Order: sequence, then C-alpha cells, then structure tokens
Amino acid sequence: MRQRIPLFICLTMGILMTAQFFIPHPLSIGFNSVINKWVVILSAFALVLGIGNLINHHINIIKRKKLERFYSLVTIISMGAMAFIGIFFGIDPGSLYQKLFLNILTPLGATMFALLAYYMASAAYRAFRARSIEATILLLSAFVVMLGFIPIGQYLHPHLPQFAEWIMRVPNLASQRGILFGVAFGSIATALKIILGIERSWLGGGG
Amino acid sequence: MRWSEVISRVDRRVIYSLLTIFVILPFFYRIKIPQNIMPQTEKLFKFIDSIPSCNKAVLLSIDYTPQTMPECHPMAIALLKHCFKRKIPVLGLSFDPQAPGLAVEAFGSVVNEFNSTAKDNADSVIYGRDYVYLGWKSGRVATLIEMGEKIIGVFPEDYFGNRTDTLPLLTRVVNYKNIAIAIILAAGDYPQEWILYAQTRYGVKIGAGLTAVMAPKYYPFLQTGQFSGMMSGMKGAAEYENLLVKYGYAQDTGKAETAMNSQTLVHLLIIFLIILGNIGYTFSRRKSAAENNKSNNPRRSYEF
Repeated sequence: MRQRIPLFICLTMGILMTAQFFIPHPLSIGFNSVINKWVVILSAFALVLGIGNLINHHINIIKRKKLERFYSLVTIISMGAMAFIGIFFGIDPGSLYQKLFLNILTPLGATMFALLAYYMASAAYRAFRARSIEATILLLSAFVVMLGFIPIGQYLHPHLPQFAEWIMRVPNLASQRGILFGVAFGSIATALKIILGIERSWLGGGG
Repeated sequence: MRWSEVISRVDRRVIYSLLTIFVILPFFYRIKIPQNIMPQTEKLFKFIDSIPSCNKAVLLSIDYTPQTMPECHPMAIALLKHCFKRKIPVLGLSFDPQAPGLAVEAFGSVVNEFNSTAKDNADSVIYGRDYVYLGWKSGRVATLIEMGEKIIGVFPEDYFGNRTDTLPLLTRVVNYKNIAIAIILAAGDYPQEWILYAQTRYGVKIGAGLTAVMAPKYYPFLQTGQFSGMMSGMKGAAEYENLLVKYGYAQDTGKAETAMNSQTLVHLLIIFLIILGNIGYTFSRRKSAAENNKSNNPRRSYEF
C-alpha cells in the first residue's frame, strides 16, 4: 500500500498533466492552474526542509568538535542574522539587509569566482599543449575564439571575429544540438519510466 | 636547465602576478578599443528598439548571482537604461534566491540616475507605473506556466510587500500577452525553461544575457529563432553599452567597456603563455627524442 498509492498518484497526475498540455479547454486550463499553485506551495516547503537540513548538518559538526566547526558556526550565525535583519528591519533599497548583501556577500562571491581566472590561466599554460592532432585543433579553435571575441581581434585580421563567430555558429552549434537531443530523449524516457512505475527509486528503499 | 625547459616551467606565482597587473591596469589607464558588435547583441537591441513605447512591457528575469555579477550586472543596467529611455515599462522577477539583492541594486541605480535629471513627473521613472519588481518565487516551472494565465495570481505581492493588484502597471500587464519580450539574465539553465514552458505554450519572445561560459550552449536556440537576441558575457554587455551610445540613449559606456579592456589584456596574456608553453614543449620533446635516438643507437656516438 505504501508503494501503490504514490505510484497511482504519479501515474494519474503524469497522464493528466501531459494530456492537459495539449487541450486548451477552460476546464483543462483551470485544472493546470490549481496544480501549478500546489507545486509553488510544495516547493516552498522544500525550502524549509533545506534550511532544516543545513542547520542540522552544521550543528552536528559543532557538536563533534571537528576542526572546521568555526566555519559551521559562521554559517549558522550568518544565516540567522540575515533572516532576522530581513524579517524585522525590511529588505528595501538602502536597508541594512541590502547593505550587508551588497557589501559582504557580493564581493565575497565575486572574489571566489574571480579566483578561477588564476587557475584557468595557470592550467591553460601547463595543460594546453599540442600533443596530438585533436589537441592541436582544440588549441587553434581556442586561439581563434579568444582572439575573435576581444576587440583587438578585428585589428589582427578583419575576418577573425567572423571566423570566431562561425566556430560558435557551426561546429559548436552542431555538437550542442546533438547533446540537446540526447538530453531530451533521455528526459522523455526517464519521465515515461517514472509515470508508468518502471523506475521506482524515487519511492526510496532502492525500488 | 635548458631554455626550453625554463619557458615551459614558468612559476605559477609569476603567472598570477602578471594576471593581477593585467586585470588592474585598464582601470587606471583607460584604453578605448572600438567594439566589434556581434549580430545576436544587435538583434536584441533592435528588438527592444522596435517595441512601441508605453505599450507592452519588457519582462526582465534577473537570475544571476554575486559570482557572475561582473558579467551580467552591466547587461541589466544597459537594458534598464534602454527601456526607461524609450518609456517601455519593465517587470522584474527572479528565480534564483541570491538574485533579488542584485536586482534591487540594478533597478535602484538606474532609477536614481534617471530621476536625478528628470524635469517633471512624466519624465521620472516611478515604481508601480514604469517598473515593478515582483521578487523571488520558488517552483519556477509552475510559476512560468501560471504567469501565462495571470501574473498577479502567482505574485499576489511584490518584493516590497505591496499588493500587486493595486499597482497600475500590473492592471495593464495581465499575462504573457502583454509582454513584448522576456529577457533572462543568468548563469544557469533558466533560459531553457523559459523556452520550454513560456515560449512553447504561450509564444513569448525570449532574449537572453548569459555568462560567456554558458553562451555556447544557447547557440542552437539562436539559430532556430527561439531567441530574439542574446548578449554573451562581458563582451555582450560592452557591445550593448556601445549600441546605447551609438543610438543616442547614453552619453558614455559603462563598466562592461572598462572591464572588457582587462579581459582583452588577460586573453592576450593567456594566448602568449600557451604559445610559450608549446614552444618549450616542442623543443623539449625534440631534444629528448634526439637523446633517445643517441642512447638507442650507440654506434652513432662513435661516429662523432
């Protein structure tokens, strides 16, 4: 029973939601609207679960007195402080919440991402070697795209930006489209397996 | 150590130092290199330029995070400037929980810039009349579909807690039928979901502003016409800023143009380093191949 009821709901809803997509009748649109509102509310509950999980995880680390417990403490205090400030002092432009977000979180986030540039430059220098024909083709394409996508590229050769754009529009597009088709067919197959009850791992217990 | 080994084993601290200098330098010495405008950026610009004023709204889905802010934030600023100059109403929303802070900042800075030079009420950019920021919403697929029926149904309150049915803009903009184009500024898979659920079902025109890393993935959508234009990375933002200047919507370019100079120098440095590494690698390989030949063929050494 614990498995049959969720499977029945999944099958019914899967068929109904697929069918309503192709039926523009007011009844079908109304049904879709109600279900969408449910989904939005349910996703909000997932957020509560996520916060609960995060707190639980970090409290466990603090309790075990692991070396990284200070990071966990910072996470919990920051989360609590931002929530408290946001709820009780507002989130309008110029508010304390907005100032903390723009002056602490934003530069920290940007710094973390900017570090990638250093690793990329170092990695490109060490690993980007013309060891084989494939590697050489990759190297040359990267050169053309890098040069074509910076303003100075057009001065090196007037057709360089167009050639870089051609690489993006033809070989890149062809491979991306292939990947997209693969993902789309895979998604359809997985969705059908779940709706028809063939794939049951989402019920827990290894299905 | 041989010279070929020296150039193929440059210390990483040297690379890091050079990179730092090359990034910082353009902020002190402004270099003006004219931008070559990519067709997809021009297409997006022309699309917005062709929307009749005060008619349909532009929906801006601000979904970038602080990590990708340097690339996407100038895009948001440039788009808002273009829309407000042309008196096109803007509706903002976010599906990324980190984005609302940045969206509020983008709206705030552009609105302040416009209102500081406004002569009268009609010339000002007013919240509720000219723009609304709806805020963040969970369950984006359901939200995207539901917005096709009634936007205020899924957003009963805006980001600041105002009831959306009391805002003049949202009495005119009911659903996607009143949206000229939805532009998604993101570093993730958000634009694809807009195409799947908002465009396929409701026929909404979609534009995008993506990080340079994400842009190649979206070229198929550009080719099929599912995208009505796209800005790709810092370059896309700089191109849009240049188009604003070219068509008289702004007097000067913004942050993306300056940052593009840093990017140009860094690209050149990386290209130089790759060439250096490959020269070192080629010569080291030739040398070791010659030495291997010598050790494998001892008679040749007697000949010498």
